[in-house]
Parts: sequence; structure tokens; C-alpha cells
Amino acid sequence: MSLSPFAGAEAPLFGTRQRRARGPRLPVIVVTGFLGAGKTTLIRALLDRPEGANTAVVVNEFGEIGIDQALLRASSDATVLLGQGCLCCEVRSDLQETLRALFIERGRGAVPSFVRVVVETSGLADPGPVLQTFATDRALGGEFHLQALIAVVDAPNGARNLASMPEARKQAALADRIVVTKSDLAEPGETEVLLAALRELSAAPVRFATNGEIAPDFLLDDPLERPDPPAAAAEPHAHTHGLVTFPLILDAPLPWRAFEQAMAVLVALRGADLLRVKGFVAIRECRGPVVVHYVQHVGHRPVELIDWPDADHRSRLVFITRGIGREPIEQLFAAVGALGG
Amino acid sequence: MADTAIWNFRQLAQHTLDGFGGIGEGMSIQIAKDGRRILWLAHESAPKNFTAVDVSDPRNPKLVARADLPQMHMRSNSLETVGDILAVAYQTKDPGLQPAGFELFDISTPENPKRISFFDCSAPHSRGVHQLWFADGEYIHMSSGAPDVTPRNPRDDQFYRIIDVKNPSKPVEIGRWWLPGTMEGDSAPAPARHPGVSDTGFRPHNTNVYPERPDRAYLGYIDGGMVILDIADKAHPKMVSRWDYHPPYYGFTHTVVPFFERNLLVVSDECTRAEGADWPKLVWIVDGRSEENPVPIATCPLPPLEDFVRRGGRYGAHNLYENVPKPNNWKSDHIVLATFFNGGLRAYDISNPYQPKEVAYFVPAPPEQAPTGAVQINDVLVDERGIVYTVDRHVGGLYTLEMDF
Repeated sequence: MSLSPFAGAEAPLFGTRQRRARGPRLPVIVVTGFLGAGKTTLIRALLDRPEGANTAVVVNEFGEIGIDQALLRASSDATVLLGQGCLCCEVRSDLQETLRALFIERGRGAVPSFVRVVVETSGLADPGPVLQTFATDRALGGEFHLQALIAVVDAPNGARNLASMPEARKQAALADRIVVTKSDLAEPGETEVLLAALRELSAAPVRFATNGEIAPDFLLDDPLERPDPPAAAAEPHAHTHGLVTFPLILDAPLPWRAFEQAMAVLVALRGADLLRVKGFVAIRECRGPVVVHYVQHVGHRPVELIDWPDADHRSRLVFITRGIGREPIEQLFAAVGALGG
Repeated sequence: MADTAIWNFRQLAQHTLDGFGGIGEGMSIQIAKDGRRILWLAHESAPKNFTAVDVSDPRNPKLVARADLPQMHMRSNSLETVGDILAVAYQTKDPGLQPAGFELFDISTPENPKRISFFDCSAPHSRGVHQLWFADGEYIHMSSGAPDVTPRNPRDDQFYRIIDVKNPSKPVEIGRWWLPGTMEGDSAPAPARHPGVSDTGFRPHNTNVYPERPDRAYLGYIDGGMVILDIADKAHPKMVSRWDYHPPYYGFTHTVVPFFERNLLVVSDECTRAEGADWPKLVWIVDGRSEENPVPIATCPLPPLEDFVRRGGRYGAHNLYENVPKPNNWKSDHIVLATFFNGGLRAYDISNPYQPKEVAYFVPAPPEQAPTGAVQINDVLVDERGIVYTVDRHVGGLYTLEMDF
């Protein structure tokens, strides 16, 4: 199968089979949410817990993270060291450059050998470009793995922001997990309205945080490894403002060539509307599931896992699109499956 | 003082071996008759000979046996076990001293190793055995001097010897080889010496033989580079190829591990000088498709010299996990585990052999009373459970780890 003279007798299609989607790469948790939603409080609470030890936090401005300045020790002008092996790093030019510098510093022993990165995005950020940063080896995909995209939404203002701000809708729609904050400050009924609005946008699991306190695994675990109880409905979510979320299940394994071609067609014709596609694919040439992740026109490097996480060996993908429904995509995969032999 | 730096390993335990935590490059697993998993460790230097540790529970290693060396002017830096037989290499500080050779022990009761035999390699110009390979229970492949061979240069006092130990009470040499020109009486000219202090000798270090190619021996030949021997006729080993990259590189080729299915060879140097004096000492990935013409295609990346050179002691390559061909040992043809003294233990994924990628590291904090002020990670072994054992050369003893990648 492989053209490499060094492939060996049983060459895996995508390099060494991995125990988990991130392989050896550093996990990155991206936290989005509007100004005042409670991102900083959430991150600060995480850093105070043992599970949050050895975390590097990347922010746009130090002020945002709201860390007690007395605890800080300057490491370089862009990095400060916190307790518990944590550090905080300010984005000076762009995120990619900041993370690359952090990775190198870590290897040199110049900063503590942190085990994960939490990126706090600025309130209005479209998460799409951040997701693409981790897609290719040429960017950061060789060293970092986008583990989870967390959207923080506050109960008093969340529903209003979702209704009026396209960025807020996109943050919620693309998220792997959604944290609702400040429900204690909401007027009666506001939280329910917000939850209903979120359900229309996203199948991601939703949990509440009080003063930033939430089970750390909800923020830190790879959603692929620990799928939460299905908020994910079997049916497509409502087409609020054109955003569509639906699962796609394929019963039969596909040859990689067929899967790749189907995605190539989708990307070529509707890449801009393919906001996020993520999940396991059963590939005929592979023993374990292949983890795929596309963000618009960019596909992350596929990773083959050593084993399926459970007895269900069907392809399971979640599509988040702008205006593309399930039916044509199902038909596309059915067609390439039939032709791809 | 640097903190422990750890990435994609999980440390399970450290055992400083009750004050004698200086371990050499002999590490071997025995499954005792009662089911205990015993790790045999060779000490780097006198006064200790070897130590046995029960690692059945790698979170709680327990010291079960320890032996002293008979003399202070010797070391037993290398050992191997096969079944209930332990082979230990004895090298003296200077030529002409005793005991120089190897000793076989019956370790059927790990608490009470009993001598089976001693194979004497002492001679006026021999320091005995530096390293031995014992994997099949039948032959010991080793780097040793001998009474009937005189090196032209005292630094070349060891050569490749094959010893039949099928009858462990009476080991018998059945074959030998040295780099032509290194011994008195050779018709070949003596090899050009490496300059000044970089002259560390034309002699083998590791001498690996694998069941996949029982007709080949893979030798790290120190200043002679890498040597592949045809040992189909053990009485008459023949050189297949030699890859010599020094100078300009500094010398001291240490270990050669073939990744047979992938036509690759992984080759390590040994860093032998502190403070970067012999930098760079590397782990090389070599294209082994044509064994007559090995071609280096990559090296495993390391953090820059300046970040480690002032930590104390040595910084550079040394031992590799050798895909030890025995039950209860791990095997991978994609992952390289290598030790780098104060650079710790590092793991590389060589799925793409042109671009080895670091996937894990473990650089322990300096052990208490480390004479160099830094850890000096010396050797590594991995068992079939995926438990990684690594050792400090001076005081830190044994570290047990899980691979988390």
C-alpha cells in the first residue's frame, strides 16, 4: 500500500497508530465566549484545582486572565509563571507564533513542562481561524492537537447575544462543549430561553458553572474519548440563521480513497459552508477508527487509533454547516461508497 | 535546580537502591519461578556488582539481592539474563588485572545467585569484558580482550568474541573478529588514530545479534563507526559493511539496533565528555536497504546544547532500547527510546524515518547528591507490559515509567 521502502510489512496508513486522537501532541483547549461571559473566571477556577496543574494559558492581554499580580513571576516579557507549574502567556503577534515559541521554550526547559494549553480567545473572535491554526503540520498540527472547543455563555445575556450577534451563534454552534454561567444572576425564565436557543444551534453537551466551578473533565477531556450523554439528537438541529448540525452514521467501512474524495467534493463545492466536521471514520484499510476533523477548506491530519473505543465500529461524524443539510451529504457518501468498491 | 521535566511518560516510582544508585548499562528481566518479575541491574562502578529488584509492581519496586565486586579495581557495567542464568561482564581498570572476563550465575533463587563458571579473559594487555549480549541462551557475543591477542594500540584492547555457553559450566570461544589493522600480526595497516583526546579506541561496544538475522552481528565499533558482520559461520565472521562517520564526527559509536521489517538501523553514539566537549553525540537513523552501503538519513532531534550543557555532567546520546529479543521485552519498529545523560530519556516516532519526531521525554530533577549536579540517565529497558525502566549513572538508581503516547 505504501510507496515508502521503510513502511514495513504492515504499514499503517497514517503513521504510528495512536492510543488517542491527540497522539503525542500537546492538547489545546480553546475557550470562546463574549466579553463578560465568564471565560476568565472559568479558567482561573480550573487553574486552582489539581487537575489544572501544569497548564499554559494563552491570552490576548494579561489583564484578561485577572490573575493576582503578586503571584506572578516574569519569565520573559510575554510569559509569566503561575503556581502549580502553570504559566500564562500573552499573544504578542499571532497565536501561531506564540504557541510555537512556547513549545520551543518548553523543550529547552526555559518554562515549566506544561502538559496542556488553554487559549482564551477575545470575545468577538470567530473560532474558525483558531481551529484552522491546529490543522496542518505546516501550522501547529504537528505539535498541538485541538482537544476541545469550549463556548462560555452567560445566562443573563446569552440568549440576546445569540439572537443578535453572528459570532456568538458561531461560537456556540462550533463548540464541542458549552458552559452556561451566571444562571444564579438570571431573571426567571432567561436560562430556559437560553438553553432552548442553544439546543437549536448545537448538539454539544451543556453544563452549568457556578463562579467558574465545573468538573474539570468537562473542559479537559477529548470529547471523542469521552462522549457525553447524547444531547446529540439523531435529527438535524433547527436551521436557525442557516446553521445546521447533524450526525452522519455510515454503516459500512469505506476505502480511504473514497472517503477522501467525498470530502474533497464537499470542500471544493461548499468548503466555506463546511464549518466543522469531526468524528471517527471506519476505513477499510485500517484496524482502528480514523479520527478526521475538517474546518471549512482545511482538513486536520487524520490519525488512526489502535482500537475503537466501543463495540460500535460504524463511522460517526458530526457535521456543522451553513445551509447544507444531511440528505445531500448522505447521498454523496452513498455514491462514493458504491463507486469506491 | 531544575524540576523534573516529563512529557508523555508517567513516573510510577524511583528506587535509589539504598544508597548505591549508580547503574551502568546492563538491565535484564527475569521471570522467577514463583512468578516474580526481577529486574537485574549492572552497577556503573565499584563497589557493587549487580542488584536485583522485584518490579512485579512497578509502582513499588523492592530490592531483592545485591552482590559486591571482588575487587575495587574493576567494574561490571554489563549483564544479561536468559531464563535462570545471569551473565555478568567484568572489566578491570587497567590491563593485566584480575578478574577480567565474565561470570555466569544460577539465579533460580534470585536472593541467592550461585556461581556456575567464570570465563577468564585476563592478560597483560586485556581489561576483560566491557559489554556482553546474551539473548538466545546459547551464545554470548561480547567485547573483550584475550590472552592470545595483542593490540597495536592499548586503546584497541577489546574485540568481538563469540562464546558458546550451551554448557554453562564450560564456556568455549568459537569465533572472533577485529577491525583489520588493530592487532599485532595483522597485514592491514593500523587505522589512523582520532586526534588527541578524541582517540577512544577501535573496539566494539555493543554486539547485537537478533533471531530475525542470526547470521548477522551489529556492532557499534566506537571510533571505527558501525560494523555489520556476517556470522553465518561463527568460526569465521566476515565484515559486510562499515559505516565510519568520524572524523568529522567525534567517535564512540555505541549501539546498533536494526528495525528489520523497515530496512532501518538505529545507531547511537556515546557522549563521553562533560560540558559539551564532544558535542554532538547523536542517535542516527540509517537506511539499511543495502547492507553493504548503509546511508544515514536523519538524526533524532535534541534541545540545543546551550540549554543543557551547563546543567552538569554529560549531555548527548548513549544507550538505546535494543528491542531485546527475549520474552517479557517490548518490541517496536516505530518508536526509538534513547538515553542522553542530563538530557534524560527521550522517545521518538520514526514512522517517517527522514523526520524523527520527539514524542516523549523524562528528565528527572537532579538526584540528591548527584556528583555532577544533574541527572545522568544512562540506560533504558522496556518490558512487554510497556513499563519503562531507566537508570541514573551515579546516584538516582531506578525510575519506573509508563509510556503515555
